[in-house]
Amino acid sequence: MERQQVIDGLVDILKTIRTISPEKLTGITEDTDFVTDLNTPSTEMINIAAKAEQKFGVEFDDDDIDGLGSTVKDFVDLIIKAKERE
Amino acid sequence: MPGSERKVAVVGMGGVFPCCSDLADFNDKLFSDKSLIREWGVALSHGKNIRSTVSGFITEAETGLKAVYSTLAEGYPETYIDTLGRIPDGNLATADLGSIWAMFGALDAIKMAGWNQSETQSEQTGVIVGSGGAGHVILRPAWHNFFELNRKSRVAGSHTVDRAMVYRDAANVSCLIKNKGVCESIGSACATGLGNIGYAYRLIKFGVQDRVIAGGVEGTSLETFIGFDAMQVLSRGFTPDESSRPFDVSRNGFVCSFGCGIVALEEYEQAKARGANILGVIDNYFNNSDGDGNMFFPSFAGQKRLWRGLMGNSTLRPDVVKVHGTSTPVGDSVELLSVVDVLGEDGYHISAPKSQFGHMLGAAGAVEFITALLMLKEQKVLPCLNSVTLNPELENFQRSDNWTGPQKPLAAYRNLIPQQGFAKDINNIVCLNYGFGGTNSAISVSNDRS
Repeated sequence: MERQQVIDGLVDILKTIRTISPEKLTGITEDTDFVTDLNTPSTEMINIAAKAEQKFGVEFDDDDIDGLGSTVKDFVDLIIKAKERE
Repeated sequence: MPGSERKVAVVGMGGVFPCCSDLADFNDKLFSDKSLIREWGVALSHGKNIRSTVSGFITEAETGLKAVYSTLAEGYPETYIDTLGRIPDGNLATADLGSIWAMFGALDAIKMAGWNQSETQSEQTGVIVGSGGAGHVILRPAWHNFFELNRKSRVAGSHTVDRAMVYRDAANVSCLIKNKGVCESIGSACATGLGNIGYAYRLIKFGVQDRVIAGGVEGTSLETFIGFDAMQVLSRGFTPDESSRPFDVSRNGFVCSFGCGIVALEEYEQAKARGANILGVIDNYFNNSDGDGNMFFPSFAGQKRLWRGLMGNSTLRPDVVKVHGTSTPVGDSVELLSVVDVLGEDGYHISAPKSQFGHMLGAAGAVEFITALLMLKEQKVLPCLNSVTLNPELENFQRSDNWTGPQKPLAAYRNLIPQQGFAKDINNIVCLNYGFGGTNSAISVSNDRS
């Protein structure tokens, strides 16, 4: 799976998270930080992870989620790693 | 000013009311003697598994809300969209339906009060709002997905706690208006709404706060409804508008309803100094317990003690008693007889607004306090709809050797109980509410006499 495909899928998920302003969702790159750039409440990160599991058909380990960073790159790496495990 | 000399004014009100678009619509329908009770499709859809199917309710669409359901957890309303743009999405994400209603009511009450941002966000502004139920609509699907479907805890998302915790309504209002004073909830079953207002009154009276947003909420919940349905305490066998019939001899239960009532309270002198419109002045609030060890049965002695505590040495005499009046067989008769025992057989009228919209449980005391404020404003008594025939015979408990109350049947007090609303000079109203566990609460509110 291409990394850009994962980013596009993540943006689709972020559009359903209503605590994130839709206008912040243009120009998302791997460097985008959920917390500092998108003002995502920390409590929403697990929602994004759970929705990513469903969208990409993967299951994350709790240890991976616990150690997850706050950038889009961190999420893309996690998804691709989980995808490779499948 | 010493706390004990402080007076408390009501300067704003708002809420979400069954079948009504807003407070003005609620006012118009109430004083047109209309019933706000309808057949509830949600209950009807369960066929023979449910006894009662009528309710005073309002749909999400009627309040401009739209639920967004989770794609992960079946049946879980992940958040709501406010199609009228009143509440920011970030606040909606942490709120169940009842908390959203509380936020609507708080915004309306603050607007009516005329509090500016500095006043609203002050350390001297508190939020005291409570709910009867427990966020069932959030908890049930979340728990179902975990326990029955064996899904991960994260499937229900990260907002089941803030959307279902006991003081969720107060917390959501506080996060919306950004007050810096007290934020708490009082829970006392069907006395919750009035209990929160009473506690808020005390906070101002005793100098802890200058302003408080206070009230009660009961968000729409079939889970709540079926709990009472199982107890066989809900009205059954009447058309919707005739289902709630306090004091009528054929009453057979209450109508389980949902809604929200919020008021803005303010220290009286401060409110007067800024030219606020005073909707009413709270004379006193009192609450107690039956002390007889009975969870459900109302207590004549407890209610008499309630009146004694409320009135103290006051010479104030109510023009209207806004009763709890649920339309349950024993509750109504004990309540009427305790009122008569304290106030006598004439000189006041009894208003039972549950006859128009049913029993809003945790919201009841707050919404009915608002009906009292509306009666003060309109100078009209709201009716006891459907109180067609009062029992001409003594109640069974009146025949007991231990009975110390009035010796006449309910029919002897027909003159107190109007079947239609009517105009009257009203200076003072006493509001009564009771709850499971033998808790009793009463508040006295008057016109601003200054």
